[in-house]
This record gives sequence, structure tokens and C-alpha cells, in this order.
Amino acid sequence: MFSTKKTLVAATVATLFAGSANAMSGSSDGSAGEKINGKYAANYAEIIREADGKYLDAKVIEAILGKDAAHGRDGLEGKLDPANPYSFEVDDSIDGGNHGNAQCKVPAAFVEVHDSVAKNYYNDNFTAYGFGTPIAEDALKVWNIVVDGDGKGLPDPSVGMTVEEGGKLYVQYCGMCHGEFGEGAKGYLPLAVDETLVTSSFDDPAPMKTVGNYWPYAVTLFDYIRRTMPFWTPNAPFIGDAGYMGMVGYILQSNYVKIDDEGNELEDDTFFNSELLMKMNKYMKNQGNYFCDHRPVIHNERCMSNCPDYMVGDGKGDIHNYRQARRLPDGTPQYNVPQRLHEDPPGVGHAGM
Amino acid sequence: MTDQIVEKVAVQTEESRNQGRRAFLKGTAAVAGGVMFTKAASAAEGAGYDPKKAVAPYAGKEEITEVLQDGAARKSLGFGVRKYPYGMPSPYEKEVQRRTLEWLTPDSMASITMTPLQSLHGIITPNGLHFERFHGGVPTINPDDHRLVIHGLVERPLIFTMDDLKRFPSVSRIHFVECPANGAMEWKGVQLNSVQWTHGMMSCVEYTGVRLSDLLKEAGIKPEGKWIIPEGADAAGLTRSIPLEIAMDDCFVAYAQNGEALRREQGYPIRLVVPGCEANMWVKYLRRIQVHDVPAQHREETSKYTELMPDGTAQRFSWYMEPNSVITYPSPDFKMQGPGKYFVRGLAWSGRGKVAHVDVSFDGGKNWKEAHFTSPVLDKAWTRFEVEWDWDGSEAFLMSRVTDETGYVQPPMPQMRQLEGTNNVYHRTAMVTWRVHAWEDGKNGGMIENVQY
Repeated sequence: MFSTKKTLVAATVATLFAGSANAMSGSSDGSAGEKINGKYAANYAEIIREADGKYLDAKVIEAILGKDAAHGRDGLEGKLDPANPYSFEVDDSIDGGNHGNAQCKVPAAFVEVHDSVAKNYYNDNFTAYGFGTPIAEDALKVWNIVVDGDGKGLPDPSVGMTVEEGGKLYVQYCGMCHGEFGEGAKGYLPLAVDETLVTSSFDDPAPMKTVGNYWPYAVTLFDYIRRTMPFWTPNAPFIGDAGYMGMVGYILQSNYVKIDDEGNELEDDTFFNSELLMKMNKYMKNQGNYFCDHRPVIHNERCMSNCPDYMVGDGKGDIHNYRQARRLPDGTPQYNVPQRLHEDPPGVGHAGM
Repeated sequence: MTDQIVEKVAVQTEESRNQGRRAFLKGTAAVAGGVMFTKAASAAEGAGYDPKKAVAPYAGKEEITEVLQDGAARKSLGFGVRKYPYGMPSPYEKEVQRRTLEWLTPDSMASITMTPLQSLHGIITPNGLHFERFHGGVPTINPDDHRLVIHGLVERPLIFTMDDLKRFPSVSRIHFVECPANGAMEWKGVQLNSVQWTHGMMSCVEYTGVRLSDLLKEAGIKPEGKWIIPEGADAAGLTRSIPLEIAMDDCFVAYAQNGEALRREQGYPIRLVVPGCEANMWVKYLRRIQVHDVPAQHREETSKYTELMPDGTAQRFSWYMEPNSVITYPSPDFKMQGPGKYFVRGLAWSGRGKVAHVDVSFDGGKNWKEAHFTSPVLDKAWTRFEVEWDWDGSEAFLMSRVTDETGYVQPPMPQMRQLEGTNNVYHRTAMVTWRVHAWEDGKNGGMIENVQY
């Protein structure tokens, strides 16, 4: 369903910026009825201000997006369009490739945030207090270990080792917690179990999210492992960038991540480096399945009495159809045991947690 | 006329106690020690305070006649000043603690504790009870050695000492801080019986610090700088990507919490405060802010803190904490004391602004009664609500529902589950339900049970 994202992307960001800029200066470019992309009220900022800033009120959202685009899963999909004033998406948020570094934004309809930013930043005639001390970028080369989603910050391609060598380091420093093949150990989660992430029944156990089936970026695997591992002494000089690179290669191999369109995978004697890592970034299995936060997509009215069934109890109006905690062998809920067994008398008090 | 609007209230002498109310009001004789105040007295019989009527509910209750004796506190001296140079709670409060669930995490350095919400009052969390979440344990950092660097897409990369930061204009604000995994254990149903477990991955304190917008402007942020990447000085070196719109809105770099320096558990000597947003963005032990053109796509915003939907897709960059509320009394931590009047209390909060209304239902969501606020109503802060309830002793289903100033109304759990499934982990912000068992002469022990629709 998210392949449609590319077609949804239109040259509307300019419209959005124009819209919010005008809103800030107090004028309005949206005569009544004018629509962004034929769908969304162009005078959304005006509508929101007229409603005392209640930009998440069900009626305000309907007035801006229309009834169908406002609710539930339809509302969620409707927000894939960056032109939607309630969308967190931006124009270059197309997933995949090397590398549409997928971005998100604060929606245009969150007018109070944009007003505040204009006041604190764009419209502020600020001069420095001079309380800091200048520092050269070069002085930060030890501290600055950020590798971003575009691969900026990765080591030179000469830095690396074979996947097999990386595997040996992995077994030595990582295997005791993550399993020799990434299967997990000692309660730490696995790195390389392939499970479907689609839920067929809500009662099924939660799928295990691993590098192979969940991580959208390979490059930041390098960032994370170097930044935080081994757990007891991160960014260890005895592993070094070459060692971290090798470990990343081994983990990607354990997850059967492809290295090219033909579907080849890493061999044990492949020299793994930043070039190969960047290439593999594009074959991460799950990378097309992320989208920006689109909440909220439930827009209820504030009902006070005799509320409709969907708001009551189990969602069908039955207040006695509830789930309880797991049961003890005698069939009673497993908690509040002392009170239930009348070891503690009734009365206000902490239940002995 | 005058006797209708001027009421003389006397100290209760034997004489006045024996007077009828009407006679008392009409009596013009000076009453010794009397206090006078003007009041629009009602002409109606029985209106106004009547001490006899006031105590009527105690009629028939057995009176204690045994003479009260002095206790040890009255008969001996207490401890002197500076016995505890840094004060501690009474030992009788020793059960009021941060607690964790051992099965949640495999070690204590990358773990979490929860705040005992059931024992808190008002809207401020004491520093010692602030919830903890570490990804690499707690460092003990000497503030003299600590530095904050702002660099990247700026005109003038700068480094600040802690004293430098305190020279800047300061801001003090009360905000809640909430882990997006608050309530995560209950996506598939209930399994916990305390507000501490269901909602305790959050706290609310007063922070003091420097506006982030001031610090970023100080370094001369370039127009192409659209994101900031704050980073910690601890073993986790935690990073998140924060869009400039949020950074310039109301963030600040805090050095104080509830009037004293931050605690080590909360980021001593400095942390980022990102009001209303996921607590993992509030980077602790903050040492570096890199201004960048793109988000870093780091582990804590891709592999973690993203929400898996039923169709296998995932939501990312879920910055704002949705409005939420919970009844803290009565809650599963307590037991009902029998039918009668209760003042149902709880907390409501919104990551998008002020709380506007809190409504409480006693019948599983069919009918609602608006609560009033017993605390100040502040932006992106806990708000304390209270509502009167006459419990007739029959089974009840208590729920609270917040509406915030943006018009968002907190949804019930079935609606949220239908849309987001049960494998989401984060942002489970739908209503919870406390089932009050029928009293039935106390045979159910006054039990209050966490159930889920």
C-alpha cells in the first residue's frame, strides 16, 4: 500500500510553507472553499484559529480534511500525502534507494508550534550573549561518532575486514548475549530471527523484530554497535572501526541481507567495508514499510451521557465483556492475592506491591 | 433587614450551643469573643452551617471512650538539626519507592523503574521517586569536567561549561516526562495490578534551565540546519533526531529539577527537556548537539521507539505523547472501605498542551461526570482531577477520559486496538478500566481489579 507514496508526493510543500507563512503574518490566502490539491481546505490555519486553536477537534479536522479523510485507517493512509495539513510526511520521504533519508515534519495544522518557532527563531533579532567558547570542528573528532542515514560519518572504504574475521570478533564480544548466530541469549533479544511482522490475530505472540526483518537502515547498525557495544565498554579501541565494520558484515550475513539485485549474499571471505555497507543499505527488507507518525486518527466527540456503543465497554456496548489478568491454578486472578485470601483486611492501603 | 444580611458567629459558648439557630441569629445581645462578617444569609430555615446537622452522619456510630495516652513522641525529645543534612522521608513511608519488574529487562543498566503514582499527591514528583530509564547505566559526572558542544551546521561551533550555561537567561517550567512505553505491558490485555506498573513510567517535576532556542541561535544556526542530534556523555551515548520546529518551540537544557541540581538518574549535570515529547528525546548527560540537515535514523528512532502496525508497517518519529489520564484513587492499589462517598482522584496530561476536561465514568463508558481540577492547569504538565462519587456498593467500572485544549478526546481501548493492533509496544494511551467488585458485606474484600475492554 505504501508504494503509492511516490505518486502521492506532489509539489505541495511550497504551498504549505506559503500557507503557514501567511498565517503567521495574519493574512489569509485561502478564500472560502479553496483547496490544496483539491482536497484540503487551504484556509486551514484560519479555521483552526476560529475554533480557538482546537486543531484536533473532530469538527475542525472534518472541516479541513473532509469527513472520509479524517478517521481510522483511512485517516492514517490519507496522511501519507505530505500536502495534507495533518501529515507528518515531507516531500522526500520516499523510502528505499541510497538513500532517501526519510524525513518527517511537524504538521502544518499544528499552528501553535509553527507560531512559536517563528517567534523564537525566524522573527527573532538575536545577538549572541558571548558566554560560550569557540571550538574547532577538528577538536570534536573523537566525540563526533554520528553516522547518519545517508552514510555520512562512515569510515574510509579501506577500513574493514572479511565477514569471517568479523564473525570471530562477534562470537568473542557479542555472542554471549546475542547468540553466536544472532539467535539471542540470556534474555537479550535476537538479532537475526526472520518472522513476519504482519499480525493475523491480535492474540498471537508479538513478532520478534530483528535487523533482518525490521531495521530500515544498515548504515546506522554500524553507528549503534560502535556507539554502545560491547555493553560493558562501548566504542572499544581493541575492536576499532575495522572490527566494528566486520561485526556489522557478520550480522548482515546472519540476516541474509542481499548485496545486489541478483540476490547474492555476503561470502565469508568478502572484505566488508563502508562501500558494501552503503550498497546493502538499499536491500534492507523492511525499509519500505515505515511511515511517519500519523496519530491521532481517532477523533471522538466528548460524549457525556448515554454514549454510543462503540465508546462503551468492549466497543459493542457490553460493559461485562472484559479481559482479566492471567489466572492462578484455582481460577482466580493472579494479583491482589493477600486481599483475596483475606490475609489482609479490607480497607484503604497499599496492596503490598 | 440587617439581621438577614449580617450574621454574628460566636465562639461556641455553652449558651450559644443551646440556642436555636433562629434565636441565635435574631439575638442582638453581644456575644463575647464574637466574629462578625457579612454574608447573604438565606431566609430559608436550615440553610447555612448547622453543626448538629453537620455531624448527623455519625449518629449511631460507636464512640471511643478509652482515654488516649501520650505516645513516645510526646514523652521524649526528637532528633536535633542536621541529623540528616539532606532530609529523608519518614521511615513509615519506606514502601513508597521506585520499583521495577525484573522480567522486563535482562539487566539493571538498560532497564526502567516506575514512579509510585498511587502514593503521590498533587502534580510534583519528588526527585527521589522520579522514574528511571537507562540504556547504559548511570554515570557519575563531575560538572566541572562536563561540557556541552553545539556544532555542525552552525556559523560558530561553541563549547559551554556548566557555569557558562547558568549565565544565560533561565526558564523554570513544570512538565511531565513520559516514556512512550508507559503502559506497553498491557497491549494484549491486563497483567498488572498497580498504577505504578500501568502508568508509572512517567513523572512530573519543575525544571530550570536555558532555552535551547537561545543556545542554537548563540551558535548561529545555518538555514540548511533542519535537525538537531543531541547526544549523551554516558555509556549509551544516546542520540535522537529532533526537527528544528520542536527544538525551537519550547525545548530547554535543564540543570535543575524541583529546585536542586538534576539527580544523576535524570541526567546530572544537564539534560535536554523536550516538553510533551517522548522521554527518550530528553537526552541525559547531554554533551553534544549536532545541527544537521537530515535525521540520523539511529537505533532509538528506527529499531526502537517505532510502532508496528497490524499490517506490518511501522510508524516512526512519534514525537508527541498523546493526551492520557488515569484514576489513581481508588485504583487496584487500594481497597474499597464499603459503600458511601468517595472522592475519585487522578492525573491527566497532554503532550500537546493543557488539559481542558476530565470526565469520569462509573459504568464502563456509558455515562460520564465532569471532574474538577485540584491543581494548577499547566501546559504539558500533570493536572490533578477529582470527582465526587456515591458508591452504592454494586459492581462498577471506573474510567477517566481526558480532553485537551486541542480538542482531542482520549479514546477507549477497543478503538485503539482495532486501529493499531497489539504489537505496537509504544504509545498505549487509551483509557484503562478499574473494576470495583460488588461490596456484598465485604466478602469480596473491597477488591479493585484492573480489567481491559
